[in-house]
Amino acid sequence: MEAKGWISGDESAKEMLGRVLSRARPFLLLPPLHRVPLRPRNVLEIVGPSPSAKTHLLIQAALTCVLPVDWNGVHYGGFDGFAIFIDLDCRFDIFRFSHLLKLRLASGSVSEIDREQNNNTIKRSSIAYDEELYTLCMRRFSYVRCYDSFEFLATLKTLHYRIQKEKAYGNCVHMLLIDSIGAFHWIDRASTCLPLRGSNRKSHSVQTVLETVVQEIRKLLLLHPMLAIATKATLFGNRAMNEAKWNLRKPDTSYSQIGGITALQLPYREYMPSAWQTFVTHRILLRPSDDHLAVSDDQNHSVYFSEWLLPSLSFLDKFIVKEAGVFLVA
Amino acid sequence: MAPLKSLEQEYPILDSNFQSFCASHDIFSVEDLLLHDLYVLAAFAEQESSSERLKQGIAQVLSIIDGQHQPWLNGIELLEDAQRNKHVLSTGCEGIDLLLHGGLRVGQLTELVGPSSSGKTQVCLLAASNVAKKHIGSVVYLDTGNSFSPQRVTQFICQHSDPAIDQAKHRTLQKVMNNISCKSVFDIFTMFDVLHQLEFNLRSQMQGGDCKVQLLIVDSVSSMVTPILGGSGSQGHALMISAGYLLKKLAHEHNIAVLVTNHTVGGDGGISKPALGESWKSIPHVRLLLSCDHGGSICNVSILKHPSMVESFASLFTMCAIDLSLSLSLSVRPFYKLFLLHMVFLFLFTLFNFFSSGCW
Repeated sequence: MEAKGWISGDESAKEMLGRVLSRARPFLLLPPLHRVPLRPRNVLEIVGPSPSAKTHLLIQAALTCVLPVDWNGVHYGGFDGFAIFIDLDCRFDIFRFSHLLKLRLASGSVSEIDREQNNNTIKRSSIAYDEELYTLCMRRFSYVRCYDSFEFLATLKTLHYRIQKEKAYGNCVHMLLIDSIGAFHWIDRASTCLPLRGSNRKSHSVQTVLETVVQEIRKLLLLHPMLAIATKATLFGNRAMNEAKWNLRKPDTSYSQIGGITALQLPYREYMPSAWQTFVTHRILLRPSDDHLAVSDDQNHSVYFSEWLLPSLSFLDKFIVKEAGVFLVA
Repeated sequence: MAPLKSLEQEYPILDSNFQSFCASHDIFSVEDLLLHDLYVLAAFAEQESSSERLKQGIAQVLSIIDGQHQPWLNGIELLEDAQRNKHVLSTGCEGIDLLLHGGLRVGQLTELVGPSSSGKTQVCLLAASNVAKKHIGSVVYLDTGNSFSPQRVTQFICQHSDPAIDQAKHRTLQKVMNNISCKSVFDIFTMFDVLHQLEFNLRSQMQGGDCKVQLLIVDSVSSMVTPILGGSGSQGHALMISAGYLLKKLAHEHNIAVLVTNHTVGGDGGISKPALGESWKSIPHVRLLLSCDHGGSICNVSILKHPSMVESFASLFTMCAIDLSLSLSLSVRPFYKLFLLHMVFLFLFTLFNFFSSGCW
């Protein structure tokens, strides 16, 4: 009898597909993150020097997460869930977040805001938006600051219970956003523990801290399917320019800066340990370019490049950051 | 972090049995627990004889860990806190105030970058005098290069008031100068000392009212950090980043505006760039580039980075004429002579009054 039960199976293929596909719908994020479909349990790393609009992309992703799909007949196209923001950089500006949310609510879709902005400048006080929806969306945004690695680890260890508490109220968390995963790199690197009693005692170093971080995030993603996005600042300058300086005597080392990034050579120096590098499933590189785009007479926006490194797509997107958010430039 | 032994008094469930169980897994303090997988530990606890008590101990430790991080806030609470506490402090220089939409924001770290003698210290002194005078708050000035000048601050404070009423002016001047506390620091360890002491004082203080610190100025942070950067070790960078985070923590938790100055170094292609390298770039909220033309009376200010402004810096040049222009600071000696003469006359005048009224 038991063997028969074993062979007959738990569910049919149709039931399985129905279960899996209803949960794991791909996220369609706004440009420049739109080229690759992202699913829950993906880990996206946004790399770039400072400043390159990384935090702006995080804010935009958070907004898309907290907005509902439809509200009072207006289509917002959001994911209708909670967003958790762990700020290791401690530079988050809530006024900017609030302003972007109000602009999105006032105009519905992003392209409409762009058209309106080009016609006239919207004053901060005169935006008409739905107050109830604004409060609902702001409440769905959870924020915590961490001033060192211990606080970060403590936050991650207790995050599971917090998410469970939210689930008990019927709210599900769709995104985990970490601003600047490499923020404490130098501090962890320089802190060496004197070996105390117990030779197997784990000492506090970049390696152990990040291994624990990866372990905790992996467990969280297993228990609560959500998308994890982390930004990372390049701490070591532009590798291409440094190498060009060092390789002055070797004229045959050809290295073109803009387009010729091969799969093996990264244009920045990777400083995260391999535990983190293998944990990341998607990677996008942002760079400021030297061009400036003159939108109107007095506004001059600098253009940024974005390039997908993992999966490696071979073309660059150009985008600018305007008051209403991030927009692609043709 | 606390060793587990010291927690036994407060939490009796973390008794010696629990401690020896943890010691068998090389865990002696809360820090070790943070680096360990607690589910694995709980699985090991299952196999022990007193598994229920051990698991209760692990749950207790988790609640201790929950108190180790900053509180969770949602968007509404963040916004309320920002609107209530994080107001804007005017620097006293109209050009900079215009550029920053009001002035230095409380809770943010503003960095002034510029080559030498571009007016950074003047802006710092102006901001200190303005905040001490108008905002009824105190200023902490950390001076690394002996550039703090009380005479200059007096100039800034007295330039807008009526020169006729001397006694009242003297009293307000005294009160305002009392609000500015200047400390000389010449290396980064002294700065850490001073900042930790300030943090301790702020945490243990009740609502001070008049004495509340509103502005913290570090002039200049680069002269303290540059000597320790470089070399093969990472201690220099670690100290720099720690200092940056301590300043940001002070700014946010205790509602202070922090202003630091930095110098420039030569970059690629001959264009000067701010010192302290790539890692420092992610510390300040706002970066301003200051430059002065050769005449010394007009300064250019431009934004290098701002968290909520999206226009590129090229379009936001503002001319800021510091009223008592920089060239005056070189000729401060004749003014000082005049000031001395003024004080002598005042003294003689009061003496004369004293004599003529026949009080003695």
